[in-house]
Amino acid sequence: MQLSKERVDAFLAELNQAVRVYVPARGEAVSSFARYGQGTEPAFDLVNTDMPPKDMLFPQTEKMYRYGLDDEGKPFVDATFDADEVVLFGVRPCDMRSIECMDDVFLTRGFIDEYYETRRQKLTTFALACTAPAPTCFCDSMGLNAGQAPAADVLLKDVGAAWQLAAQSEKGAALLGKYKGFFDESDVQDAGAKNSDSVSCTLKVDMDGVKEKLDQMFDHPLWEDITKKCLTCGTCTYVCPTCYCFDISQSNRMKIGERYRCWDSCMFSVYSEMAGGHNPRADKLSRVRQRFMHKLCFFEDRYGKSLCVGCGRCIQKCPVALDISCLIDDIGAAELAPVALAGEKGAGDGKH
Amino acid sequence: MTDTAPSITREQTARVQTARVQTTRVHTALFAEVTQKLRLRAKELLESGEVVSVIGWEAGRFENQTTPAFITDANKVDRLIFNEYCANTLGKYVLSEKLDGKVAVCVRGCESRGINRMISDNQLKRSEVYLLGLPCPGMVESPEVSHASEPSHAPEASSKLLSKCAFCTHRQPVVFDEYLGTCEATDETLGGLIPKPIDPSERFSDVEELEALSLDERNAYFEKLYNNCIRCYACREVCPCCTCRECFVDQARAGWQGKQNNLEENRFYNLTRVFHIGDRCVECGECERVCPMELPLMKINRKMVKDLTTLFSVPEAGLDSETISPLNTYDVADLEEYL
Repeated sequence: MQLSKERVDAFLAELNQAVRVYVPARGEAVSSFARYGQGTEPAFDLVNTDMPPKDMLFPQTEKMYRYGLDDEGKPFVDATFDADEVVLFGVRPCDMRSIECMDDVFLTRGFIDEYYETRRQKLTTFALACTAPAPTCFCDSMGLNAGQAPAADVLLKDVGAAWQLAAQSEKGAALLGKYKGFFDESDVQDAGAKNSDSVSCTLKVDMDGVKEKLDQMFDHPLWEDITKKCLTCGTCTYVCPTCYCFDISQSNRMKIGERYRCWDSCMFSVYSEMAGGHNPRADKLSRVRQRFMHKLCFFEDRYGKSLCVGCGRCIQKCPVALDISCLIDDIGAAELAPVALAGEKGAGDGKH
Repeated sequence: MTDTAPSITREQTARVQTARVQTTRVHTALFAEVTQKLRLRAKELLESGEVVSVIGWEAGRFENQTTPAFITDANKVDRLIFNEYCANTLGKYVLSEKLDGKVAVCVRGCESRGINRMISDNQLKRSEVYLLGLPCPGMVESPEVSHASEPSHAPEASSKLLSKCAFCTHRQPVVFDEYLGTCEATDETLGGLIPKPIDPSERFSDVEELEALSLDERNAYFEKLYNNCIRCYACREVCPCCTCRECFVDQARAGWQGKQNNLEENRFYNLTRVFHIGDRCVECGECERVCPMELPLMKINRKMVKDLTTLFSVPEAGLDSETISPLNTYDVADLEEYL
């Protein structure tokens, strides 16, 4: 099934009547996923957007519930789980993987986050297979295939004058069925067709054994070296498609209060500060280590996959060029203390 | 907020920013010479034990990219480089590095003014740092990394002067222990390589453009700007004036700053920071360079500098470490037309 590029606008405009359609778009300064229509020019040529699409499911600030005293002085709490039907059109395979990671966090292991779940159930994703990765992309080293997005409802491949559409879920098939008038059944590839079946990133890292090594590197001097240049700003965590740490807070006005949650960052010292003032990660080193350990080691322990999807956004945006791909190289090259090796005999063989 | 609100791109921060850089053989030779001298002196300083660490730049993973380097081993000084991609202003790093002993740091105009700033603010003693002065012809962008997701960035874009260097008035270090350039390396002689520092009469032209807007337009401009802020606090972390032990943002118990990301909270953060640093800003432009949302944060800082300069004849901040910042002084002759 194909969607002619000439008909993309007609299709999206029609779709946008029924649901909220978001597409990659260049803003005045940076690019992000923006609501289709209202003057938004889709930028399907962007490799990925400066800002990830995670706020579709996990907004930077999300109202959870209101509470207070009503007009008669009775206490009330009203929680609202409501979300609009959203179609994310043109999301890249790395960002699709990041949604899989967030699904793990918010929907599995015996706890379901109803705010996330409500949005997730109303989200339909059209992933766009990559054909030309950016110099900072390294998804294929992180176990992804830039031409595939198994978690997406529909996969789009560039076949020149059209996009090849493949439904990958019931939700995707139903949506394609509903709008079948916009598609044709041809399988033609013209000269402008782009290869998305064997896309290879130019930036490569060797993840083999990195997690097992990190298991033994909590006190390794490597962290001191990389920590020096880190500003402990929140840039990497906020442009990261998988960083999901949040804080819950409230604002009170008169008799009404509002509880909300918002993105937080493990780079900030206040993030780990506890009531009473104790801070288990008071120093910069422990915060920097935490972030990379979470990405490359702890998440794998809990969910069996890396929390870094190789999108390269932190490499592009870090103000001091603290590059996670260089760190992965450094971990690979790091020498482990002999004591640690003896204590963890055979750790390198026991990979799953 | 309206669609017709003035643009908030950094492109407008300084008009001369679009000037293309002419890289010449003289230029390349200068960087090579300075890099050699820097490595030599770093080695000597570390071997003699005069300093415990040398702060400079080293190559990043990508071509045309550097990253801050902290050299503590005299055998590793060859990692140090100096070229036109040394975008990071390094001065603030001495605050953490000096805990281990005396620190040598590379200083250009921006670093040196930041060092003076921190000495004035009692964050640093002059004796705690050894300043290696470097001749600066201005630095250029490396969009291969910062705009990697753009499918086709024009090749010539890599030779665009950094916006922070476009409004720089002091490229050469204002204080140093030794100077690693040639004696002839002044703004005048270097001006032929990379566009000269901004002409004093042009210096505030972009601020004047902002002042010329109507109240509504200006309001729309700042609303758009602060709506785009994600409050990562990179601007605060990198600023040589932001040295409070505990930032007002982090005083959770007092609750000055709400954690919501919305126009009110974002504006409150940004404007409070501007007022905190307003009379002390050394115009290094790092806040604007590090902003992941590419917001033109220097525009309002430079409005403050302009007012101090034109209304109160206050000298530029950070040119020495003795001058008391204007909001720390009181003069009965100060202009107070509202009284």
